[in-house]
Amino acid sequence: MQLKKFGLSFVQSLAWGIAAMVAGIAQHAAAADLPKEVRIATVAYATGGKVGYNGNAGVIEQQGWLRQELQKQGINLVWVPVAAQTVGATINEGFANKSIDFAGYGDLPSIILNGGGVETRVVVPGGAGNNVYVLVPPNSTAKSIVDLKGKRIALHRGRPWEITFSRLLAANGLKLSDFKISNLNPAAGAAALAAGNVDAFVTLSDAYTLEDKKVGKILWSTKQAGQEWKMRAELWGDKSFIERYPQVTQIIATAYIKAQYWTSQESNFEGFVKIAEASGQPAAVIRREYQTDAVSWKQRWSPLFDAFVLDHYRTAIAYSRQGNLIRRDLDAASLFDPRFVNAALKELKLENYWTARGLNSAGTS
Amino acid sequence: MKNLLKALPRAQGLQGLWLPLLVLALWEFTSRQSAAYAYAFVPLLDIWHSLLGLLVSGELLTNLLATMRTAMVGLVIGGSLGLLVGGLMGVSRTVDKLIGPLYHAVRQVPLLGWIPLIGLWFGNGLLSKVLIVSLAAFYPMVLNTYEGVRNVEKRFIEVAQVLKFSRWQLFTRVQLPGALPSVITGVMHALAFSWISTVGSELLFGSGPGLGGLMQTAQAASKMDVVLVAVASIGVIGLIINVGFTRISRHLLRWRHAH
Amino acid sequence: MAINKLIATEFLRDRAVLAISPLLLLGAWTWACHAGLFPEQILVSPQRVYEAGVELWDSGELAMHLEKSLSRLAIGFSIGALVGLAFGVAMGLSKRVEALCGPSFNAIRQVPTIAFIPMLILIFGVEETFKIVVVAKAAFFPIALATLDAVKGVPKQYFEVARVYRLSTAQLVRRIILPATVPPVLTGFRISLGRSWMVLVAAELLAADSGIGQMMEMGRQMFRIDVVMVGVVITGLVGFVLDRGFRSLETRLVRWKLP
Repeated sequence: MQLKKFGLSFVQSLAWGIAAMVAGIAQHAAAADLPKEVRIATVAYATGGKVGYNGNAGVIEQQGWLRQELQKQGINLVWVPVAAQTVGATINEGFANKSIDFAGYGDLPSIILNGGGVETRVVVPGGAGNNVYVLVPPNSTAKSIVDLKGKRIALHRGRPWEITFSRLLAANGLKLSDFKISNLNPAAGAAALAAGNVDAFVTLSDAYTLEDKKVGKILWSTKQAGQEWKMRAELWGDKSFIERYPQVTQIIATAYIKAQYWTSQESNFEGFVKIAEASGQPAAVIRREYQTDAVSWKQRWSPLFDAFVLDHYRTAIAYSRQGNLIRRDLDAASLFDPRFVNAALKELKLENYWTARGLNSAGTS
Repeated sequence: MKNLLKALPRAQGLQGLWLPLLVLALWEFTSRQSAAYAYAFVPLLDIWHSLLGLLVSGELLTNLLATMRTAMVGLVIGGSLGLLVGGLMGVSRTVDKLIGPLYHAVRQVPLLGWIPLIGLWFGNGLLSKVLIVSLAAFYPMVLNTYEGVRNVEKRFIEVAQVLKFSRWQLFTRVQLPGALPSVITGVMHALAFSWISTVGSELLFGSGPGLGGLMQTAQAASKMDVVLVAVASIGVIGLIINVGFTRISRHLLRWRHAH
Repeated sequence: MAINKLIATEFLRDRAVLAISPLLLLGAWTWACHAGLFPEQILVSPQRVYEAGVELWDSGELAMHLEKSLSRLAIGFSIGALVGLAFGVAMGLSKRVEALCGPSFNAIRQVPTIAFIPMLILIFGVEETFKIVVVAKAAFFPIALATLDAVKGVPKQYFEVARVYRLSTAQLVRRIILPATVPPVLTGFRISLGRSWMVLVAAELLAADSGIGQMMEMGRQMFRIDVVMVGVVITGLVGFVLDRGFRSLETRLVRWKLP
């Protein structure tokens, strides 16, 4: 009799225990519908003890909208700062070891990443961003890239400007193997140029700083060339994150479109320059980079997934495959996830603000 | 030449100033040669202004403290682990045979060669730096603790055996104190290596606060003046740590000279 | 006969035991990859590393990088060692030299060689000169220090004997100082060789267009972690070989020294 009573109460408590466990698990699963934080990697600069974020990230922080929206859902926005010297490698590692969910970075490193088997997708194209410059020593007699055949060039491999540089070579009937390439990061490359160790140096707008310091002069740049020459950077996202949390991805995509819309307006140019100053570059250099360019300011920030972007990636993938930078084929279209941009444009009523570009090299459609 | 040397002022200690002064003069001279030279050999006045600027803005101090913090944390973690492993290896032949070869093999890889891998596995932040610094402190601690324990004079061990000490008593009463001088040498080396590897890993990871990071950013921006200020700070702090610790260890080990 | 067999098996067993922990590690590594504990991009399997190594060797790339790194090491080390020896002897023998150079020597010694890299890049650029200077600096200090200590440790009687026999300074150095100081100086050589190798790899990681360090960095940029691991293994192997080589040289010389 005692045993029976005991047994019954035991079964009862067991039942309660199981029910509680199940309820707990269910609740935990429900709560796991949203991540606690979203980590977006972006190039950041530490100047004077403060951290400044570049481009879109800087604008988004200033606008504050993304942070608020995510906070409403209990998600913390975390910017993961990345040093400008090693953006590609650092972000690739971040995606591979799952320590970041999104990143704003360039085309070649992301192709290399996907070619290596880690899957990321373009969520928001970043517009045709920075110009690429080729510098030579101040007393160099070279007039064009052809004069530099057989010479030593400082070029950081696996970075977006390698694509631009290869385009330049192809346009002049040259190959990468026609030169002696020194794989130096931008800081080392600048030092090499100053010390006369190299005959040319491929870099971004820091070219102006070096010109001002009289350690180099600009031989060629993409300023007057068509849009497809400029270096590209987009917002990439971890594929599994996008699939698991499409709503969060949508909010982020909308924030980036908002930022690019704000920047693309001429009236906000000065405000944008101020944000870009966080990189430590003087405003004068920033202005020279962005002004008097063959591509209109507005079109530079177009986030559209048009034929232009698709073609860029097709060419870049072909280049990587041919140069053995990646060991398997990639389909450019499969790297894109246009749902979020389309939805964001519709929500913000910006569907007709930017015009889709075809393959016309003039940068117009 | 000998006469020239004899003619130099004999004031104690002041003699050492001739060389640095000569170098400074050469430096200033080179910086005035051309713009290209001034790129690397920044005029002395600019260096002075940079120093003041960094001190006033507090940037120097912030980075200094960050580097010190990383070094200390790494030292504590690596040092204590090293003490444990080294002690175990010294005390037990089995452990020595098992772990020894692996330890010596892994030790050969230059610390900074691990950085690309650690960067991939643990990211570029504080964790990775602390990991490298711990490793740097770990190696000398293991080595010195091991040797210290092993070299405890046989007669002390014999006395312990006569007195029928248990393994634990043998360890705490004889081996540990006997190994202390070696352990302290180990800590001194670990200290030096922690400091060096902190700076090195900051340079190579290139992100986050710290004197190495300050130097890296400055080099990227071609600001030789900031680089030099950072180099000098690193040297000064290293000197303070070394001298300070030598004094402390001499004080702690004074009982050794008694007998 | 039986006793020889016993000794042989003992010997083999001792050697075999040495291999236990490295083999265990290798086993654990392979198992972790098979079990898929980490994505294959993070933890590359030993097989992938081996294949990458073979690929690099076949293409001649590995040999080229190795040759570049080792030649830089050889040249820089020779320069640094020679200057270090000369300096150590000079400072040890002459009080005036010590007074003049001592403070600067100690000051610069405090700064880790790695911290000098940004400054040296700005001055020398990123060509061979820069790397050789870095290696020479790393080699210089331990050797100079060891030589200084060794020279100072030479018993006073030796000097008196030299005076009695009226030996010139050159003869003094060659006949008396050098033999008396060889063992500690050799140890100094070994330590500085290890440090120079480590510093060279670091310098190549930061700024080079060839060499093992650069091969690792390029691997990192191209997301070829297997290449990075090949680099790690190679740097460890080279360090190991250099260290062992010097150790056996030391023991052989010591044996020669003792009657």
